[in-house]
Amino acid sequence: MNIGSRELTGGGAFRSKLLLFFLLLLFWIVLTASLALHELVMGAVCSAFVGALTVSLLGRALDPRITPSVLLRLPVFMVRLVWEIIKANIDVARIILNPRLPIDPRIVEYRTYLPGDLPRTVFSDSITLTPGTVTVELRGDLLNVHCLCPYHEEGLAGLEKLVAWLFQVKKPEVEENG
Amino acid sequence: MARDIVAGIFCCTGTFFFILGTTGLLRMPDLFTRLHPSTKCDTLGACSVIVGMAVHNGWSWDLLKLVFIACFLLLSSATCGHAIGRSALRRHIPYWKKKEVKEDGHGA
Repeated sequence: MNIGSRELTGGGAFRSKLLLFFLLLLFWIVLTASLALHELVMGAVCSAFVGALTVSLLGRALDPRITPSVLLRLPVFMVRLVWEIIKANIDVARIILNPRLPIDPRIVEYRTYLPGDLPRTVFSDSITLTPGTVTVELRGDLLNVHCLCPYHEEGLAGLEKLVAWLFQVKKPEVEENG
Repeated sequence: MARDIVAGIFCCTGTFFFILGTTGLLRMPDLFTRLHPSTKCDTLGACSVIVGMAVHNGWSWDLLKLVFIACFLLLSSATCGHAIGRSALRRHIPYWKKKEVKEDGHGA
């Protein structure tokens, strides 16, 4: 169910494969911490293998939604997400350390307007990492979120806005009919 | 010296959150509520320890590796919690609900 993903033409697909290969090679160089020739050759072989495996499994090399502007916004997104995680932890810590354990768990349904697999995956991963919420099911645009306390549900919309900002998705003005 | 102190503070904070996560795991009533402390507190605990190690290590090549470890930890922890919750939901495991508390029952 890829509403937003564009069909890639031959040239674009090749460029995306090349980009994946160089990303993997860069990762290899970071891990080995050396620029010796035999290490580079081994890294190139491994990167090509992993890249080919990725393409055969997913049918494409990189999600077309990963654009340079998204990568530029990613550090800001991470900082805000980490801030949310810290707040989440202090909140959960207060609940855990409270002798009466004031929890009132429930599973709520949340319909998101984020299109495509990647923004929804990022959104549900972010939900799991933030205050009192765990995504337990993601089917289409419907998320089942387990909330520890009813007020945790209120944080979802703000998080959705943050992910929408990362991928530059506009919130649809009119409610979808049917 | 100052660097050791800062690194120690971060590592101690991480350990504290690990203890919290374990406490929550033991105190929570069912599978779904146990996901909350195990996905959140353990993630922040591990990240805090990693930050402590990064401060202790200083600017070096290993810093990049630590950043990678933290990123993969954030990704895998959230995905793992989601996978456990989803399989429990699909097996129709009932989740714990708050009972009506009697007025005289709980004197805190």
